[in-house]
Amino acid sequence: MKKLGIYIHVPFCRAKCLYCDFCSHPPRNGEKTEYVEALKRQIASYRERFCGYTADAVYFGGGTPTLLSSDQLGGILDALRASITVSEDAEITSECNPATVDRTALTKLRAAGINRLSIGAQSFNDDELCALGRLHNAANVTSTFDDARAAGFDNISLDLMYGIPRQTRDSWQATLDAAIALSPEHISAYGLRVEQGTPFGTMGDSLVLPDENLTAQMYLDATERLEQAGIYQYEISNFACRGRESRHNIKYWKCDEYVGFGVAAHSYFDGERYAAPTDIDSFVSGKFIDEQSVARVDEHEAEVEFVMLAMRLRDGLRCEEYRKRFGIDPAEKYTPRFAPYVVSGHVVADERGYRFTREGMLVSNYILSDVLDL
Amino acid sequence: MERTPRQEHIRNFSIIAHIDHGKSTLADRLLEATSAVAKRDMEEQLLDNMDIERERGITIKARAVRLNYTASDGEQYVLNLIDTPGHVDFNYEVSRSLNACEGALLVVDATQGIEAQTLANAYLAVDAGLEILPVINKIDLPSANIEGVRNEIEDIIGVPAEDCPAVSAKVGLNIDQVLERIITDIPAPAGDEGGPLKCLIFDSYYDSYLGVVVYVRVMQGCLHSGDRIKLMSNGKEFDVVDVGTMEAFGLKKGDCLMAGDVGYITASIKSVGDTRVGDTVTLASKPADEPLPGFQSALPMVYAGIYPADGSKYEDLRDALEKLELNDAALVFEPETSIALGFGFRCGFLGLLHMEIIEERLEREFNLDLITTAPSVIYEVKRRGGEVVRIDNPSNFPTADEIETAYEPMVKANIITPTEYVGGLMELCQDRRGVFIDMKYLDTVRVELHYDLPLNEIIYDFFDALKSRSRGYASLDYELKGYEPSKLVKLDFLLNGDQVDALSFIVHEEKAYPRARRIAEKLKDNIPRQLFEVPIQAAIGGKIIARETVKAMRKDVLAKCYGGDITRKKKLLEKQKEGKKKMRQLGSVQVSPEAFMAVLKLSDDD
Repeated sequence: MKKLGIYIHVPFCRAKCLYCDFCSHPPRNGEKTEYVEALKRQIASYRERFCGYTADAVYFGGGTPTLLSSDQLGGILDALRASITVSEDAEITSECNPATVDRTALTKLRAAGINRLSIGAQSFNDDELCALGRLHNAANVTSTFDDARAAGFDNISLDLMYGIPRQTRDSWQATLDAAIALSPEHISAYGLRVEQGTPFGTMGDSLVLPDENLTAQMYLDATERLEQAGIYQYEISNFACRGRESRHNIKYWKCDEYVGFGVAAHSYFDGERYAAPTDIDSFVSGKFIDEQSVARVDEHEAEVEFVMLAMRLRDGLRCEEYRKRFGIDPAEKYTPRFAPYVVSGHVVADERGYRFTREGMLVSNYILSDVLDL
Repeated sequence: MERTPRQEHIRNFSIIAHIDHGKSTLADRLLEATSAVAKRDMEEQLLDNMDIERERGITIKARAVRLNYTASDGEQYVLNLIDTPGHVDFNYEVSRSLNACEGALLVVDATQGIEAQTLANAYLAVDAGLEILPVINKIDLPSANIEGVRNEIEDIIGVPAEDCPAVSAKVGLNIDQVLERIITDIPAPAGDEGGPLKCLIFDSYYDSYLGVVVYVRVMQGCLHSGDRIKLMSNGKEFDVVDVGTMEAFGLKKGDCLMAGDVGYITASIKSVGDTRVGDTVTLASKPADEPLPGFQSALPMVYAGIYPADGSKYEDLRDALEKLELNDAALVFEPETSIALGFGFRCGFLGLLHMEIIEERLEREFNLDLITTAPSVIYEVKRRGGEVVRIDNPSNFPTADEIETAYEPMVKANIITPTEYVGGLMELCQDRRGVFIDMKYLDTVRVELHYDLPLNEIIYDFFDALKSRSRGYASLDYELKGYEPSKLVKLDFLLNGDQVDALSFIVHEEKAYPRARRIAEKLKDNIPRQLFEVPIQAAIGGKIIARETVKAMRKDVLAKCYGGDITRKKKLLEKQKEGKKKMRQLGSVQVSPEAFMAVLKLSDDD
């Protein structure tokens, strides 16, 4: 049986955050029901293609998936189980935002089969949360976390963000400490990126962000503090207690197959990468694939993607895995290409393979754009 | 002066003006009014053929057109309009064009009055012995001050303007008055039709079917197709294929050109280099005793290296330069190699504007991305031992201990300015190492300043500085005076310890320190950050005189591959890779073409 990851996108949220360029919006009346029905139809349409596959990771992302009721989420999972075998030990994650769910709702969610929760905390500083346009405060994060534990979630991740307007190194360290104090199994720490088409993207110089050196330092602070607390880095932005790495996320980095359901969801399945349309109306009316996005991944592209994504992992590009996938040793090509970055201390190369140092991770785009056959 | 009846019905004239005073628009209206061009076929500014000319609102090459006009006296006249370039780089071409005429329309904007170029051009026309007919333009504008401008013309230029035409070229008002005054005020051409042939070349261009088309004004004698002609500067002979006239939409064959006529010659000539502006065409069988006065061979004043940004485009650049050379006798080039930039060409230009125009044409018409090194003049160095070498490339500048004396080219500069700007301009000249010669009052409001200036101080941005310190009123003219001893040094730049030959230039000792500091700063701002710190050093010989540092890049990472969107990350890296391809690897440092440009465009304000 081949293993498969399933991603399900829920494009709803109470309000759009100021930095957000994801596909999400506050739902219109009746929109949620319509959307859930469309999702179920899309899932059903895969039934035959899923023959021979087992889903070992399911991930509800958004938006705020918990804006759907636990019945609706459970209904989607039921539809999924009707199309594909979901393994018994499958990791089934849902993202959720603080203060959007109470203990009762979380208990129902757990009962519906969801066994991992990813809480969008972002910060434990109320001013910073406010600056991001988030609807919750630090106390909400703690109470939602406690509610989740009480509801039986033994695998919880927190999303944190650094590089927030007017954030200081001290306030970031305080956020890290507060997060560590809750003893989550997993933490994602993302640097804020100002994207075009978001409110932040239009603010220009009026948006005062921590400078490059400071955000680089914040990143290093995070890796250090989290590892001290036993939460180890396994990917550029992801940290986990041993054995608690996100199975779903790792599929992205290892070029394993996954199918995304819902608007704007991306898939890598059967040798093709493709995405669903971002427009919810076309999706609901049954247009499940954006034809323009469909791309056959040929051997050359597969190789580029394999290296690009593997290098995000702490373990980096493993020679053995590369040989298994492409039949040749990567050393002839990559040893000379990485050599200057080994000298400069950005990359470690040994018999196992190539991996970034922390400083290297910080400038990984620069190095990869040089090294890869793009 | 004796004139034939044929000559009595010819008028040869130019239009001169300050930039934007409406020279081209007036030319268009004259063409329209004489039905040389039907209104519906009118393209704005017909005489300016090149895109660059239209955009910059300047004329680079001279052009000519023949108009047929029936005057109010009932007689048919031939009017030859010769357009002139309008920049100091091309002063020589302007003066030759003016020599082909008997009169000039001096266009003055009714809202702006007389400005620097109006004056400079008016003096050129007076020097050429032309009758000047002022035309006040833009009278349709509410702020037009016709009477004020009339007084200005009389006071400052000293030409009667009491009853000169006041027009609006834009709306076509009073154009007929201009045409009538051309007939009545501008003298008809003279010249002995039976004498030995003397034709003045005022323009030429290469046509892929006809070969070189030479625009001439016949001063004396008569030329037929089939005649064998001789160019008096170089002695080359050609058989004339065709002669004829320049009509609004192309050449029109004729039988002969006679004294007083303006027309073209084709003679299977392969290169415009043979038909230099200002040269005299005569008959091989019956040559004139001496050529028309004033000829100068085109002399490049400024040299720079031009390199393809993409090294593989070297051949394309060669082809493009060869094509431009066909049409531009003043452009010279030869191959050169730079350690930093690879294969390219050392090119010679008349001046900085000429250089910019060539660059722009290479980029636009031939779709090339270029890297240009800092412009340089030709220096002379007397080595110990007495050998004198000419240096057009800083790389060839000998080391200090090999030099006995270094010489740099000097010019005699003539600046005309309203009196209130004299102080600022004297400061400017002093700052540019000028030597004051004298100052003359032209009248109560205008002054003429004479300075000897090093050419390398004025090729750069002197003209812009002059304009900005005089609100555009001062005008500049200069001629080469010769070479004088000078304390010159070669300024080198090192990136991460490696010298970059393409950034070196020769500079006067006194100027070396401030220039070094400013360029180091500019480099710092324009060299993309690398993974390591990049020291930038400026050095004379082995001595470091300025230093800056490009800080190392700390953070360049995409935090999140959201929802498995691999494509987005890949595109980002592809774009980054694309940018890197344009970079030049100089030693261990990657440098973008913009960095070279930034150094080149260094100006006073930086």
